[in-house]
Amino acid sequence: MKIKVIEKFKNMDKRERGIYVRELLINNSLYIFLVAAIIVIQFANPRFLSWPSIINIISLSAANLPIALGIAGAIILTGTDLSAGRIVGLVSCVAAALLQSNDYLGKMFPGLSTMPIFVVFLIVIAIGALIGLINGFCTATFHLHPFIVTLSTQLIVYGGLLLFLMIGNNNGQSLSGLSTGYTNFIKGSIISLGGTPIPNYVWYVLVITAIMWVVWNKTTFGKNMFAVGSNPDAANVSGVNVKKIIILVFMLAGVLYAVTGFIEAARIGSNSANTGLNYELDAIAACVIGGVSFVGGTGKISGVILGVVLLRLIFVGLTFLGIDANMQYIIKGLIILIACAIDMRKYLVRR
Amino acid sequence: MKTRILAILLALLLSVGVLTACGGNRDADVHVFYYTFSDTYVSSVRGTLGAELGRAGFSYQDYDGNGNQTTQTEQIRTAITKGAKALLVNIVNTGSDDAAQEIVNLAKDAGIPLIFFNREVSDTIISSYENCAYVGTRAEEAGILQGEMIGEYLVNNYDQIDLNNDGVISYILFKGEEGNNEAIYRTKYSVEKANEMLLAAGKPALRFYDPANQNGYHVDQNGQWSSAAANNYMNTALASYNAANGNMIELVICNNDSMAEGAISALDAAGFNKGGSSPTIPVFGVDATEAAKTLIKDGKMVGTIQQDAAGMSSTLSLLTANALDENKELMSGTENLPVDEAVRKIRIPYAKYLG
Repeated sequence: MKIKVIEKFKNMDKRERGIYVRELLINNSLYIFLVAAIIVIQFANPRFLSWPSIINIISLSAANLPIALGIAGAIILTGTDLSAGRIVGLVSCVAAALLQSNDYLGKMFPGLSTMPIFVVFLIVIAIGALIGLINGFCTATFHLHPFIVTLSTQLIVYGGLLLFLMIGNNNGQSLSGLSTGYTNFIKGSIISLGGTPIPNYVWYVLVITAIMWVVWNKTTFGKNMFAVGSNPDAANVSGVNVKKIIILVFMLAGVLYAVTGFIEAARIGSNSANTGLNYELDAIAACVIGGVSFVGGTGKISGVILGVVLLRLIFVGLTFLGIDANMQYIIKGLIILIACAIDMRKYLVRR
Repeated sequence: MKTRILAILLALLLSVGVLTACGGNRDADVHVFYYTFSDTYVSSVRGTLGAELGRAGFSYQDYDGNGNQTTQTEQIRTAITKGAKALLVNIVNTGSDDAAQEIVNLAKDAGIPLIFFNREVSDTIISSYENCAYVGTRAEEAGILQGEMIGEYLVNNYDQIDLNNDGVISYILFKGEEGNNEAIYRTKYSVEKANEMLLAAGKPALRFYDPANQNGYHVDQNGQWSSAAANNYMNTALASYNAANGNMIELVICNNDSMAEGAISALDAAGFNKGGSSPTIPVFGVDATEAAKTLIKDGKMVGTIQQDAAGMSSTLSLLTANALDENKELMSGTENLPVDEAVRKIRIPYAKYLG
């Protein structure tokens, strides 16, 4: 493969070579930017590439990865999902409420002793799947754009979350005082690298990402998802149950948001109605940066990972450089815009 | 056909839901506008104020501005057309006077008493309408008290806190929101007051942990004072400033308790502030939420500043009773409360909370 590319390059004349190199640079500009940014930040602050810092970037990325993997499915179907952040918020509050330690004074349900972690995990997964089912069902059955459907469900979920926080003797307070079993399960560590502990949730996310890779690439469901995304009519003609695929994609997304919320609750340790706010925007941005196209039908797990890591690198890097927080918005905005422009260019060239 | 039946069913389901959800009072006299339901402290005011108003026998209705001034102003317009008799407003936008002035003009034109609370508006706004008052705190006070509390604690435990023995204490500070007066004053005075006390005791001033950061704080970019923002910053800061590198952050100052919780969660993961005899970095917050009180009790946090939600609610209830009683002045019965001299502003005092 590589040799072929080199030979092809040798056979080009000077003008073709120029174009080839230019295209190569433009199409990989994000990677080039990534490497350049790392070098610049490393020179400014040599601790950037130390173990604690690398593990911090990995764990921040891991916490943001499941929600991005979920939303990626919706984007592949040429849709989007605005309810993701609010589902994360609802789930993390439910998980926190059910897993508060028994001796915590401000416990939401004083009569209820801490539930087994696994049972709570199943409960929140069910909540995520149910909301995903509603999103998918309305999208598929009423032929509504998911933008509209999830715009609505996002509000409904937020209202539900506010109501939930007022029940028990909670009175709208943030939910904390989680049982040590739960926090250790998420934040604890069994492996350290260079003396820095790697939080356990990084491994869970790793497993989930591997499962998602298999689902996307090796299952009929995954292949059908891409088929529906690139052309629902063609998929329908070739015997794919389009409605079922749409519903399943949104349910899977809901499950992944629930995983995010379940991790987030213990990771942050304090959960309120604004937990999860705007998470979907970062997740959508990560997908788009990673080449999950709004055109539909294209996207790779590795792309989503790249997008998530790049966004976290911007956050960590600018914090390391001590640059004003306001600049983060501008840089993030520019990167998303450039990434989309490059992405769209590929399709224009093909046509 | 099937789709149509489903759509009709869904619509029916919705209308049933809406009708049953209409538990609120449809002809309330008192209309209470909160800047957002998602704020922890504002939620505790909502709880106690609701109870107070209910006890006093007033019918009331709550609104969620959801952090958006346009939404809130529209809610107020609607409430006035609905026949409100008193308006209690926890204004969203404290950055400029325009929004507050518009609300005052609306109330004035309709002749309805208006009481601002919690988030402060300018004196001239209050004075521009004789039936307008403010119940809240003195915005500087929380920061000043927090600074004093920090200064006192540092002077008494200096060598213990100065982990790397370089004679200077390096701190990190989390700001809740840009452009909010409370956040600005807390950020400013917490450090200034602490420094005053340190210098008086012959110690050097505090130093922000990261010399590259010109601001001297990290701010929640969503303006939500959130624990997640503090947690992400703290984790990132700990990645380069830690015990292994010999330059641990030695003090954590937070604009509120949610941010303190997020910071403590990050410190936990790095092996600090786990309670008991584990090494502990002093963390300070504001609000005295239940969660923070528990953290202080467990030795994971040092102190916070108590906002008196109950005192705020009883004062609001008193003013509301005055507003609804035509024979009474809006400010009658407030002689013994801390009222500003020049303007109808009642200041509920803050208090230090160290457990």
